[in-house]
Amino acid sequence: MADTGNIMEGFLCPMCMKDFGTVSQLQEHFEVAHSSEDKAVFQSLKGFFDKAKKRILGDRENEFGENSSSDSSPNLNLSGFDPTWWEFQELGCVRNHTDAFKAVRDARIDHFVVETNKLLIRLDKLLDPEAPKEASKRKGFEKSVVPWVPDGAVPCCLSCEESFNIMRRKHHCRLCGGIMCNKCSEFLTLTYARKFFVFTEYFLALIVNPAVTFEGESGFLKRSDSSTSLNSLMGLEAEGHMRVCKTCRKLLERRDQMVEQRNIKPNFVVLYEKMQECMSNANDLIPQYLPMVDSLSMGEATYSLKEAELLRTKLIRLYDAVDQISKKIQNLEIKPDSPSAFKQQQLQKAIRMSASGFMQENLMGLQALPTSEQYQELQAKRRAEVQRKIAAERQAAMEAQNRERFNQEESEKPGKILSIGKKLGHVRNDSQDSVGRGWKPTEEGSKVSKVGDPMLQQMEIIRGYIKQAREAKRWDEMEMLEHNLKDLKDEYYRQQAQNFQS
Amino acid sequence: MNVILAVKQYVSKMIEESGPGMKVLLMDKDTTTYVSMVYAKSEILQKEVYLFENIDSGASRESMKHLKCITFLRPTQENVQLLASELKSPKYGLYYIYFSNVISKQDVKILAEADDQEVVREVQEFYGDYIAVNPHLYSFNLIGCAQSLAWSKPVLTRTAQGLAAVLLSLKKCPFIRYQNSSEMARTLAESVKQIIIKEAGLFEFRKTDVTPVLLILDRRDDAVSPLLNQWTYQAMVHELLGIENSKINLSNVPNISKDLKEVLLSAEHDEFYAENMYLNFGEMGTNIQKLMDEFQKTSKNHTKVESIQDMKNFIENYPQFKKMSGTVSKHVTVVSELSRQVGLYYLQDVSELEQEIACHNDHSAQLQRIKSFFTNDKIRPKDLLRLVMLYALRYETHTNNDLAGLVDSLKRRGVSEDKRSLVHAVLEYGGKRARGSDLFGNSDPSAITKRIMKGLKGVENVYTQHQPLLSSTLDQLIRGKLREASYPYLGTSQLKDRPQDIIVFMIGGCTFEESKAVHMLNRNTPGVKIVLGGSSIHNSDR
Repeated sequence: MADTGNIMEGFLCPMCMKDFGTVSQLQEHFEVAHSSEDKAVFQSLKGFFDKAKKRILGDRENEFGENSSSDSSPNLNLSGFDPTWWEFQELGCVRNHTDAFKAVRDARIDHFVVETNKLLIRLDKLLDPEAPKEASKRKGFEKSVVPWVPDGAVPCCLSCEESFNIMRRKHHCRLCGGIMCNKCSEFLTLTYARKFFVFTEYFLALIVNPAVTFEGESGFLKRSDSSTSLNSLMGLEAEGHMRVCKTCRKLLERRDQMVEQRNIKPNFVVLYEKMQECMSNANDLIPQYLPMVDSLSMGEATYSLKEAELLRTKLIRLYDAVDQISKKIQNLEIKPDSPSAFKQQQLQKAIRMSASGFMQENLMGLQALPTSEQYQELQAKRRAEVQRKIAAERQAAMEAQNRERFNQEESEKPGKILSIGKKLGHVRNDSQDSVGRGWKPTEEGSKVSKVGDPMLQQMEIIRGYIKQAREAKRWDEMEMLEHNLKDLKDEYYRQQAQNFQS
Repeated sequence: MNVILAVKQYVSKMIEESGPGMKVLLMDKDTTTYVSMVYAKSEILQKEVYLFENIDSGASRESMKHLKCITFLRPTQENVQLLASELKSPKYGLYYIYFSNVISKQDVKILAEADDQEVVREVQEFYGDYIAVNPHLYSFNLIGCAQSLAWSKPVLTRTAQGLAAVLLSLKKCPFIRYQNSSEMARTLAESVKQIIIKEAGLFEFRKTDVTPVLLILDRRDDAVSPLLNQWTYQAMVHELLGIENSKINLSNVPNISKDLKEVLLSAEHDEFYAENMYLNFGEMGTNIQKLMDEFQKTSKNHTKVESIQDMKNFIENYPQFKKMSGTVSKHVTVVSELSRQVGLYYLQDVSELEQEIACHNDHSAQLQRIKSFFTNDKIRPKDLLRLVMLYALRYETHTNNDLAGLVDSLKRRGVSEDKRSLVHAVLEYGGKRARGSDLFGNSDPSAITKRIMKGLKGVENVYTQHQPLLSSTLDQLIRGKLREASYPYLGTSQLKDRPQDIIVFMIGGCTFEESKAVHMLNRNTPGVKIVLGGSSIHNSDR
């Protein structure tokens, strides 16, 4: 703590406490140090991360260790971690209202469903091609399908509550038989009405050729307020429209929307699902692949190299697909006039972002396989190592045996030696087993073998970095990366040439 | 007991329940902060949540039927209305609705009646109704929770609801103890108790051996802690730069580069910060220097990437490196800004005197030093004001106190009338009459001996002498020695054993100094887990 006091005094620069006294000097120094930090990127990174990581991790372990041993100086070792924090914790309390919600909703929805179905049945009858077409008979037919509310039953329009008179005449909704004024009437086009019964065919057509759009998209005609004479209205009806009330219109539209939602999948949703499928496939494969790499790069023969290579290619192909699709999603054209253009764009960007996050996490961490020569080398090494271990074990066992025998001879009768020998045999087996178990692939080991990565892929990655660097306007970094790329290319061509020659 | 984990698990569960597919998260202003404190954007993107919407923006939002909508809202009247109109004309395909607190049957009915398109799949209560700042620290971000030293009704309701949510999310049904000297503490304790009784069904948890304790305290008992300059990293950043929902705004820093204008400090996603947040500034500086040294060393040791092997390493480490260099440059910037301010405003001297006043009884010498600070133009009026307030609290009843003179000097330094009145306000707020316990340790003989012992041992660090009152209160509580007269139980049942799980709430907000104290208690007393919370988190700006 006394130290801290000193540091405080001279502590105007976080990096070079001794050298700098004033703020401006500190700033200047900071610029220099900062840029040198960047230089560090260019120079080299070899091993640095392991070091830094080890340092941090090591520190933390030390801290815990010290803290558990002595709590006398908690101030010095106070890191922000508390090992007990991330213990398992139950999900907090929850309460579910879904059932109560559904009970209330279903009561209401039932009513809608019944109403809608009734309307559809009537609509179907009204659309019957054999039904009379001429106006006089038509009215009778309509009345036979739908019981009309008698004219005298209502004094005013049920929707706008204006009373009827010479100017405001009574009209019947052809679907529910209710009465409303002309102003409140809606006109259902017959084409739209037919859609309810032929939608399956319609959607089939849509899937085959997305360019087909349904003609009567709006489905309803709103009579223009000013210049409607009775004649033109009659004309309208004759042309294939049906007078309905607002409630019926709402019900029909609701039904239409629900059907549409169930059946139409925007192009981009299809793409997205494909991408998700690739991702989950890749995630399924990874747990198979990783132990293979670890085992192979230890020189073990549990898995065949070829199998692993196959799996790797498969993985890379999947990642590639994810990349491609997400790019496609991002670049999907959005109709600028569509109402959700802005959000849609945001959404597509976010999808791309998450996909590239996914790639970064997985592809970058995808460990390379040893080449076949290296693999042989590794195998040989491992054999040697194993033999050495076994020899060492044997040696140790022998020594132990000798020692024990010595002890035995000292204290016990020679008759028991045989059984002890047996016991020792067990001991040796055990120890060999434990060697096998202890011989787990470690991070270090697998790093050694990461030499022969497919070069093309690396070049691709570097190109990606160059692009990022360019976007970030870090020119020197870019230069360095480009240099790397060039080296890589040279090496690649050299190898290609060699292969060709041989 | 980890509040961050509790909220995070809630959010994860929501996302999980909605199944695969593109998702949008629909929230209100409060829940947005709750979620952003526990989930990083990149993290949540990986879970197929691609859009974030605010419920207020109803009309301007665009219809996207192929999205599933996870709705996470506080159950306010306003939100229920907004949601009902949203459900009447749904913009998304399916809705999974979660409320952050108890919702009435009536409101469920309103929503159910609005949902005539059958888009709602779930309606649930997930009690993540607070801001989880650190694993052991929560806050409600309610500023100005008292009006003329009593509760205002909506704030009381909100606070009680929030506390109930904390308890529910941690699955604790506690005994409640409150600070006897504070009327507000008692009122709050009763409100919480009422909720527990009303929702008895919810609070039925598996019995633990020792019943947890909810301790409700009032800031008025220790008005000193928030007035002190802090020297631990997290507290300092909050004091000098201001942390708002783990974001800090650096745009006022001279010569700041563009991408560092606003930086995120989160122990969840930043290892270095998590390591150092409770360290003293000095130690923190040493750590940063170590980190920088590593960078410099590598730049000297290595020449160039030459072999393919090097290149491979480079490629493997590059993304990691970018992240790390981002972290380092962020912290270097923050720390250098901190030290700039420290130097510029003589904060070390100021802080030393603050600690003096808070911990030692030496009226005339301290008065002299305060007066001498008034002649230094570099010291901010804000800091002077704080010193005077501390002085006022400390020597409220001292016969020779020269408060009037100091307030006068403040006036000469151009401190506004408004600010000057704070001196008297703070006396009223946290003065002797308001305090229930012995903040400065004047009368308690054991405290005096403790101080003398400390004096003999020599002061460890002049800038961190002050220990918040909270640590001694908690210490007594843990040892089962907290006096019942000062901190009575609500109701008749009492805890016989030493408490293990303790949930503290500080009316009027807590400080990062106290958070650190709680963190240390958690670390150093095995078996005891403490969670601290406050109406808000203070810095001296109030």
